[in-house]
Amino acid sequence: MLDKGDKEGSSMQEIMAILPASVRSIITALPSTVLEVLEEIRLRQNQPLEIRYGQQTSYVTPAGQITSIARQGWVFTQDHVVKLLNQVSQHSLYALEEELKRGYITVVGGHRIGIAGKVVLERGDVKGIRDVTSFNIRIAREKKGVAQKVMPYLFEKGNLQNTLVISPPMCGKTTLLRDIARQVSYGSEWSSSRKVGIVDERSELAGCLQGVPQRDVGPRTDVLDACPKAIGMMMLIRSMSPDALIVDEIGRPEDGDAVWEAIHAGVAVICSAHGSNVEEVARRPMLGKLIRHGAFSRYIVLSRSRGVGTIQAIYDSSLNPVKRELPA
Amino acid sequence: MIKLIGALMVLVSASMVGWQISRTYVKRPVQLRALLVALQMLETEIVYGLTPLQRAFFKVGQRVNKEVGNLFLSAAELLEQGRALSAEESLQKAMMRHWPQTAFRKQEQEVLASLAQVLGSSDREDQQKHLRLAVTHLRGLEEEARAEQDKYEKMYKSLGFLGGLLAVILMF
Repeated sequence: MLDKGDKEGSSMQEIMAILPASVRSIITALPSTVLEVLEEIRLRQNQPLEIRYGQQTSYVTPAGQITSIARQGWVFTQDHVVKLLNQVSQHSLYALEEELKRGYITVVGGHRIGIAGKVVLERGDVKGIRDVTSFNIRIAREKKGVAQKVMPYLFEKGNLQNTLVISPPMCGKTTLLRDIARQVSYGSEWSSSRKVGIVDERSELAGCLQGVPQRDVGPRTDVLDACPKAIGMMMLIRSMSPDALIVDEIGRPEDGDAVWEAIHAGVAVICSAHGSNVEEVARRPMLGKLIRHGAFSRYIVLSRSRGVGTIQAIYDSSLNPVKRELPA
Repeated sequence: MIKLIGALMVLVSASMVGWQISRTYVKRPVQLRALLVALQMLETEIVYGLTPLQRAFFKVGQRVNKEVGNLFLSAAELLEQGRALSAEESLQKAMMRHWPQTAFRKQEQEVLASLAQVLGSSDREDQQKHLRLAVTHLRGLEEEARAEQDKYEKMYKSLGFLGGLLAVILMF
């Protein structure tokens, strides 16, 4: 495992690089105890800067002090909006058309910036967001080894099982998937190394920059960056013959078909969905169908009850708790 | 004898001055052509390649002739290091730095300056519109520059030589 301090430092540096100087100086002035656990920086036009760290949220004063009083917070103005957009887009707003349509931008290092503002429509479809007024900068932290605890449950007689990771937002779903990909790709005490295919529609899992993964996803991993999940899964099966397919946040009807297709092509699928428990997820049409037909043989439920990435429960296909597979 | 050498020197230097002035009339259309090519490449990079502005500047700067290319190369450099600089400021600064080395005039500067204001700050269609507008303006200027070249290039060359000749005759 790499030195943790070193890794934390680099992800903060990536964030600093995209912030305009005014915001950067305030964030740098934050107490180091806050900086270490900083998760989100929220910026809204004409509103005070808000941060989310650990389990708390608060405003920040111009001097970098934490406060709960909105009036004391440093106010993000329109001028800052323009500067931030310039930095994020590398002065090339035209290159972000797809991203502005989806509502978020992924930057170097796999950090995601959610945006909101005035939506422009074209024939009823969202064409993009024109006057961006809100930013939510989510700091992606690579936590190697978080999958260590779930790895023993993912195998049955040495075979990797189709797995659905269920988790509310911000509970470490993507981080867990990334580490599973890494461990499967490197090989672990439960299995030899395998070929892994990742369809990374939001560029969050592998955090690709110009197609090259910025996160460690293992030596035997192929990444289809920014590709729609359903198409990507089929492309990878045809072109790269992966042993395991890893996909984040499935939800659209065509995703379900692709998962179904992949499972029957002899590929182990490990994917994730938003939700707080299996029952809730099963109520959604596409996922419900997959669950009822027994597409998945493992369900991992995450929560924040004991900090980000708490593993609440692991079930098998009939929703019974799973026994741990012994090392091969 | 010395008188003859002196007369020859006067004649040669006067012709050189004339030739020098006529050169600016030759250079301007050539550089305008290069700038047009550069803007068209920039359009391809932006509209079809979705290349970030800094890389687009760099690519374009490398492929066109030196005087014009330097403009884009140094704008790319400024964009990369000076994080506080906007695209407009970088291009303006690059123009200030390299303008004297070019044969361009105020009109070209105006066209580029107004392009710089919008470069990178809108969607693809809008970028294309502005780039095409700049290209159209520059085409007009190019034609004008060629007409001037036809008119003045030869004139300044002969004027230099004849001026020198006149001085020599007067001296004798």
